[in-house]
Amino acid sequence: MIRFQGTANTLGLLFCGTMTASMSHEIKNALAIVNENAGLLADLIALAEKGRPLNPERLKTLAADISRQVQRADSIVSRLNRFAHSAGQPVTTTDTREIFEFTAALAARMAAMKGVTITVAGDNTVQVQARPFIVENLLWLCLKHLFAVSTGNQTVQLGAENADSHVVIGLQFAEGTPVEEISKLVTQEGQPLIIALQAEVSTDAQRSLIRLTLPKKFEE
Amino acid sequence: MRVLLVDDEEELVSTLAERLAMRGITASWVTGYRAALDIVEHEPFDIALLDVRLPEMNGLDLKRLLEVKRPGMKFIFLTGHGSEEDFNACSAESGRDYYLIKPVQIEVLMAKLNEIFQQ
Repeated sequence: MIRFQGTANTLGLLFCGTMTASMSHEIKNALAIVNENAGLLADLIALAEKGRPLNPERLKTLAADISRQVQRADSIVSRLNRFAHSAGQPVTTTDTREIFEFTAALAARMAAMKGVTITVAGDNTVQVQARPFIVENLLWLCLKHLFAVSTGNQTVQLGAENADSHVVIGLQFAEGTPVEEISKLVTQEGQPLIIALQAEVSTDAQRSLIRLTLPKKFEE
Repeated sequence: MRVLLVDDEEELVSTLAERLAMRGITASWVTGYRAALDIVEHEPFDIALLDVRLPEMNGLDLKRLLEVKRPGMKFIFLTGHGSEEDFNACSAESGRDYYLIKPVQIEVLMAKLNEIFQQ
């Protein structure tokens, strides 16, 4: 058990590294846009000093653009902060939808890079007792391996349903997605996470579905 | 000098194009690799400024395709990552001087564009 926990922690570190790299890239982009807008503002002022009239509407647009990018960066930093805190979160009862939406937000940029759209199914409330960070990490592994085989215009929908004493998380892929290949890679790489969650991974190739079955109540 | 800007951040490339125009450089911009390949098909450019991490195709692969269409074109890579991996890949492709990290100062970019254009 100790050995598996160690490997789960290693996977967690890799997960943290990937996500912080992606989010820092997004922040850099927002800062780059603020930099260009501020630079354009300086250019317009320099031209005004030489006699070209300043257009108030243009200035308003620039101010709004800067404000929007600051809000964007702030939103990314908030996500990063929440993610950093989640790494140490103990076993807790969490709404699966909350986990899905957060994982989708974390992976959004990388998904866009690969032409993949992540959606969250329905609005039903299914709760699971687990460490949310480990569930997010396992979901990320599924998405990562989807991204690796994606040739663009891919979709994946995250959903969950109650099944007696278990919660079944479903990743519904587009028709033709090599779900068995993805599932095999996830099971190999994510074994320590699967054990830590007391979960099972199964596939339904005909329906292009991967199921992660977790106990509703986690037993230490 | 005609410059093509390729980055998925539309607000970044459109503003940068406006600032370059103020400095006498004709700059066009696109936000994806398909549009980049399309515009290069119809218009000549001296230099392309490429984001390393573009959706669906990275800047390094795009450079190879653009070179086939416009053999004389020069390239500058732009990235928000600044990672060792990016740095090494771009260095191998076009020399360390042609690799700029976001956010880039307009004076630095202008100097680089002029330097490459005069080569």
